[in-house]
Amino acid sequence: MADAAATAGAAGSGTRSGSKQSTNPADNYHLARRRTLQVVVSSLLTEAGFESAEKASVETLTEMLQSYISEIGRSAKSYCEHTARTQPTLSDIVVTLVEMGFNVDTLPAYAKRSQRMVITAPPVTNQPVAPKALTAGQNRPHPPHIPSHFPEFPDPHTYIKTPTYREPVSDYQVLREKAASQRRDVERALTRFMAKTGETQSLFKDDVSTFPLIAARPFTIPYLTALLPSELEMQQMEETDSSEQDEQTDTENLPLHISPVPLLSREGSLPCTEVWMPPSWAS
Amino acid sequence: MLTNKWCQVFKKTFGEIRVLLLSLAFSLLSPLPRRNLNYFSNAYAAAVSAVDPDAGNGELCIKVPSELWKHVDELKVLKIHINFSLDQPKGGLHFVVPSVEGSMAERGAHVFSCGYQNSTRFWFPCVDSYSELCTWKLEFTVDAAMVAVSNGDLVETVYTHDMRKKTFHYMLTIPTSASNISLAIGPFEILVDPYMHEVTHFCLPQLLPLLKHTTSYLHEVFEFYEEILTCRYPYSCFKTVFIDEAYVEVAAYASMSIFSTNLLHSAMIIDETPLTRRCLAQSLAQQFFGCFISRMSWSDEWVLKGISGYIYGLWMKKTFGVNEYRHWIKEELDKIVAYELKTGGVLLHPMFGGGKEKDNPAPHPHFSIKHPHTLSWEYYTMFQCKAHLVMRLIENRISMEFMLQVFNKLLSLASTASSQKFQSHMWSQMLVSTSGFLKSISNVSGKDIQPLIKQWVDQSGVVKFYGSFAFNRKRNVLELEIKQDYTSPGTQKYVGPLKVTVQELDGSFNHTLQIEENSLKHDIPCHSKSRRNKKKKIPLMNGEEVDMDLSAMDADSPLLWIRIDPDMAVLRKVDSEQADFMWQYQLRYERDVVAQQEAISALERFPTPASRLALTDVLEQEQCFYRVRMAACFCLAKIANSMVSTWTGPPAMKSLFTRMFCCKTCPNIVKTNNFMSFQSYFLQKTMPVAMALLRDVHNLCPKEVLTFILDLIKYNDNRKNKFSDNYYRAEMIDALANSVTPAVSVNNEVRTLDNLNPDVRLILEEITRFLNMEKLLPSYRHTITVSCLRAIRVLQKNGHVPSDPSLFKSYAEYGHFVDIRIAALEAVVDYTKVDRSYEELQWLLTMVQNDPVPYVRHKILNMLTKNPPFTKSMESPLCNEALVDQLWKLMNSGTSHDWRLRCGAVDLYFTLFGLSRPSCLPLPELGLVLNLKEKKAVLNPTIIPEAIAGNQEAAVNPSSHTQLVGFQNPFSSSQDEEEIDMDTVHDSQAFISHHLNMLERPSTPGLSKYRPANSRSALIPQHSAGCDGTPTTKPQWNMELPRKGTAGLRRWGEGGPLRVARPPRLQGSLGCGCAPDPSPVLPKGQLER
Repeated sequence: MADAAATAGAAGSGTRSGSKQSTNPADNYHLARRRTLQVVVSSLLTEAGFESAEKASVETLTEMLQSYISEIGRSAKSYCEHTARTQPTLSDIVVTLVEMGFNVDTLPAYAKRSQRMVITAPPVTNQPVAPKALTAGQNRPHPPHIPSHFPEFPDPHTYIKTPTYREPVSDYQVLREKAASQRRDVERALTRFMAKTGETQSLFKDDVSTFPLIAARPFTIPYLTALLPSELEMQQMEETDSSEQDEQTDTENLPLHISPVPLLSREGSLPCTEVWMPPSWAS
Repeated sequence: MLTNKWCQVFKKTFGEIRVLLLSLAFSLLSPLPRRNLNYFSNAYAAAVSAVDPDAGNGELCIKVPSELWKHVDELKVLKIHINFSLDQPKGGLHFVVPSVEGSMAERGAHVFSCGYQNSTRFWFPCVDSYSELCTWKLEFTVDAAMVAVSNGDLVETVYTHDMRKKTFHYMLTIPTSASNISLAIGPFEILVDPYMHEVTHFCLPQLLPLLKHTTSYLHEVFEFYEEILTCRYPYSCFKTVFIDEAYVEVAAYASMSIFSTNLLHSAMIIDETPLTRRCLAQSLAQQFFGCFISRMSWSDEWVLKGISGYIYGLWMKKTFGVNEYRHWIKEELDKIVAYELKTGGVLLHPMFGGGKEKDNPAPHPHFSIKHPHTLSWEYYTMFQCKAHLVMRLIENRISMEFMLQVFNKLLSLASTASSQKFQSHMWSQMLVSTSGFLKSISNVSGKDIQPLIKQWVDQSGVVKFYGSFAFNRKRNVLELEIKQDYTSPGTQKYVGPLKVTVQELDGSFNHTLQIEENSLKHDIPCHSKSRRNKKKKIPLMNGEEVDMDLSAMDADSPLLWIRIDPDMAVLRKVDSEQADFMWQYQLRYERDVVAQQEAISALERFPTPASRLALTDVLEQEQCFYRVRMAACFCLAKIANSMVSTWTGPPAMKSLFTRMFCCKTCPNIVKTNNFMSFQSYFLQKTMPVAMALLRDVHNLCPKEVLTFILDLIKYNDNRKNKFSDNYYRAEMIDALANSVTPAVSVNNEVRTLDNLNPDVRLILEEITRFLNMEKLLPSYRHTITVSCLRAIRVLQKNGHVPSDPSLFKSYAEYGHFVDIRIAALEAVVDYTKVDRSYEELQWLLTMVQNDPVPYVRHKILNMLTKNPPFTKSMESPLCNEALVDQLWKLMNSGTSHDWRLRCGAVDLYFTLFGLSRPSCLPLPELGLVLNLKEKKAVLNPTIIPEAIAGNQEAAVNPSSHTQLVGFQNPFSSSQDEEEIDMDTVHDSQAFISHHLNMLERPSTPGLSKYRPANSRSALIPQHSAGCDGTPTTKPQWNMELPRKGTAGLRRWGEGGPLRVARPPRLQGSLGCGCAPDPSPVLPKGQLER
């Protein structure tokens, strides 16, 4: 069994390829591998002198062989990683075999036995390819300072940004127009919605929908809504307070009642020096 | 006048002796004597004087039992307790109780005292005269969540045993009249002024940030007044209370002012700021003159109003500048002149009795000016306006320095007097009288101002000048002709100096002309030869020298312009004739804003390209006063309309506006708003409104202008602005409304959507959007809604939209903001007039009777008077007997709780029906007229008895000071429960004849005192019989008061509230439980619950 496994592992095997009916490439791959193993098992059986074998026993033997080889591979990988490598070396395999209780010294002799059968190498089947639905562009190779054993870059679409180039609108007139019509549309839609969903009044008896007026509804405390600034205004005030209006102050703020010359002679002795301050200064 | 149906006086204790008191429901006239306003106003005046507290009369009279007379003789103290309660008061106190969930405090319920002139007796018994001073201790027990604000210092606040109520103890040690006592209770937020700790501000919940901002300026006003008067604020503290549903915007009481909450504003509001500051300053001026110093009698009122208005004017000058001040003076002068010319004069110092009256026939036929309470509101505002203008004239005469010295003297005398305890004769120094004031002036200044007083104070009327001139080249003399019109109503003849300023090429020269009886022409020598070839700068009045383009002027004359009375030193109207180029020079180069405005209004008559240029130049000149520029906008619109056929270039002001306010790169888009410069803000607001008045040859608003305004609205962007643009947007809607012209109507088709003019459709689109947005994002004071409502009415009126009042009626309902309501009501009033709808008129009148807000009621009458559905000279289907009845009833009995409302009803009645019998009433019988003549009184014997009965009873009894009387109006709706059988009284022939006798005497209060006692004797038993029973009904109240009463008023000191047989000294104490809501079933006023 062990020989068979070694042969299969080292040389691979030819087999009749006929797995075209399967659609999935990954499945194809597995099927092909298994067939190769079956060929190996069969040839070993032939070598051992069997003329025929039940299918079930061949399958069982194949299964055992596969497990054995898998275990060798897994264990060898562990040893190799244990010593901080990625590629198993011969000694890894040897240690593995030893660990599994296999007498390594018998191996060269077995390999060179006379009655051995050579099976043809299986055709190279395509590695299953991950679906490429989301790939965009080429995977980038590692830059030189990154060791090649590091994982590859992920698919480009996960990190590459593709700026779309459209000229930003900077024309003042268009901007203003846009802002104005946008606001107007929003306002109209909003008020229409309110009018549709609530009571309305109309200026025309025959038509209530063209100029719907939201019905007047008395407030319980009318002065509150009338006097308190709305939240929007408060917010706006805070914004403007901190930002740009300051610079306008110096240039544009002229006193309210400018007169070229104070009319001193006319009205007593109080000159018109004091100006009504904008409310914000007073506070 | 107690006038209180709702006031019950339960018990009065007089030492040991109990005397029964009556609750008085004084009604003026029964409705029977029909509908003659002359008659009404006489009777009303008589009734008011019969209970005039100034004259020592009243409604509640207390008989001092003869047992106590000897106490009086011994100068002993009599203590009088009057226990009473107020039951759903209709006047005096106003309750605001929003109908929301929660406790009274959470709902923001509040109550405050209100009224016009001396109206304190509406809420507690007192001698309601400005001349009766005493010190006060006031106690108010209110719910623990409430705050009671009243006059004087808050001494302490004590919780009741159950900790659910608090008692506020106020103490006012400065002698104050009852009329200056006030009260406000509510869940107020309290702000101690950060600059002056003795000043406290109160506002309704949630408004504290606004209050902070609004009052942050007040300390400067304080400083200003204290500085010019060189006198500390007389009271130890000052409180401002901002309340909803205010009776008037500003009401000043001793050490406390009550303002409308609508004056509060945030820092983002531009337009309201100066208005509110003005109100604050006004109220503070009245603290000095009006509250601290009060008046001797009604005829001295003008002094107080004059002084407070005058120092308020000084404050304006200092705060807003000379231009604003002069503009204000001109505005006020124009107002008073227009009013006097329209109605026939405002008399500042109405003198009682005597022959004076005959020289100067009563200028106001439809109401008496002898009492504050019979005056029309409009007259009273004009009276205040004239008072301060006259004060300014006095200042012109004696100089401001002396003027301020006089004020200082008045104040220091008063404050010395006020610190004197228990010497009430000293306290009379705290009262100002006309003669005392004039004496101070002559003492301080040494000048005789008697002629001035005689002209403006003792006489009514203004002066009307017509000036025209010719230049005599040979003599180099200006021949000025000044004519006067002193025959038309409201005018008087002026004799005295008159200043004329002539601007010549060589400079400006003042000339003082003596206006005499017969001289019309005045020769004024000119200083300069007519020469213009020399290029030389022309000196102006203020010393400035300017270059002028002199090509427009007359080659022969050196005159640039002439101004008659430039300083407004006479209360006058001047119509002067000048050539158009002179007006244009005056507009461009005269630096006085008043002159500029005069020039603008004159230029309306000269639609020429030169006028256009002058106006445009002024508009562009940034140094020019913004109000002048605003006026120029409207003038320019008018001129453009007059010269529409020859107008070249774009519509007036459009390019100007574009240059000033639109983007450089795209001239059709307005800049984003930046209102930091207020002048340009005001100009930006006004220009489109004026532009919308432009009309093309078809008398339509040019399409270009409409598109322009719509674009302004569309591109309006306030995101970067520090200030709110609500007033700006509102004016844009006004502009849209201005652009509307009458619809072309084809044979009166019904207005539907299909035949809507496309322009109007655009306008309507905007209005709809604005109005709807207001529901979601309301603007400050709902200015936009107000403008939208007005605009909709304009569309209706011009026939674009079907005329329909239902929209306005829904906005006029109680619960909307007051500005909205007034705007909506104005539209309904207008509808009533245009569509002659009896139904709407009824609706309005019902509202006058039932609306919870006194101001709205007053305003409806006021608007109906200004825009009447019909007038006396007009035939109208609305004018019918039922309406006469209704109004008559309103005047008589429906408005007894509010003087202002009653006088408003009288004004309306006068406008609708005139003085004499309304034309829609059936003719009276002839016999009555004959009788009238015989009696020499304007009274009809068959109708007098009932009419005057009430008044005369009131007139008689106070003087008798022995009798308690109750009057009842059987027709008054709410007065059914206590019926005094007036019919039996009237049946008595003796009674009637007695009253007829009484009527023949002048019913001046002074005389009524001296009526022989025996003429009353017959009456007394009848009254007692009729009045018995009423007061005794509810003795149990008495017991309840201590725990029920929410307010206790105590008053002590000299001069108690009672007029008792002229006691030499009367120490009275009046303790009363004043419960705004004694009865649990009443919905209103349950503040303690």
